[in-house]
Amino acid sequence: MNVTVLKSEGYTLVSVEGRVDSTNAGEFEKSMLEVVADGATKIVLDCSELNYISSTGLRIFLIVQKKMMANKGQFCLCGLQAGIKEIFDISGFSSIFKMFPDKESAING
Amino acid sequence: MKCKTLFVKNQIAELIHVADYLEELGEEWEFSIPLVFSLNLVLEEALTNIILYGFEDQSEHQIEIDFKKSDDKLFITLIDDGIAYDPTLKADPDLSLSAEDRPIGGLGVFLIKKIMDQVVYNRNENKNLLILTKNINL
Repeated sequence: MNVTVLKSEGYTLVSVEGRVDSTNAGEFEKSMLEVVADGATKIVLDCSELNYISSTGLRIFLIVQKKMMANKGQFCLCGLQAGIKEIFDISGFSSIFKMFPDKESAING
Repeated sequence: MKCKTLFVKNQIAELIHVADYLEELGEEWEFSIPLVFSLNLVLEEALTNIILYGFEDQSEHQIEIDFKKSDDKLFITLIDDGIAYDPTLKADPDLSLSAEDRPIGGLGVFLIKKIMDQVVYNRNENKNLLILTKNINL
């Protein structure tokens, strides 16, 4: 797994690549919570290179969403691959996250 | 009927080997990529529960995973000697709740039940048996 963070005016773009599973979810959680703690008002999480996620990873998405809502911020996801989108649908997560097809629409949305 | 068995230790790091093993098994048994993804997820959820909550001692335990494939069904049986735990009794999460009200966690067993076509639990001679069935080649 690789996480890259790019701070821009008005939003922070985070890209996650590879797998988020029980073996590395702690690392992903730490990176995401750092972005939240840094005071980001809008986080765009680019998932186009994320090719596997388990419930341990989903848990972190929900933690970030709760924190951003409490901070009156925005948390947007974009570029979810079909297999990942299906897991979001099954989990009922598709209705609680703002999802966009690509990062441009997420940044402007 | 094709059969294969994998043994893993009760350590989270073993999940990496399980993912690699499934890639190879998928090639050998000609599974689609989405099926390999689903099986990887199901096994990670089941194994994570066993590894994190199944053992009260600090000793090393072996978890057996049996794979059996007929023309139209895949059977996966997980066998462990941990404390008795029937995941089929776990209540499903309420998917209608808002983000604020959704509890953190509690999705693993639900994902297993949604992805597999049948989930059966048995306790036999101090062992947990979780028998997962998936209809394939539909």
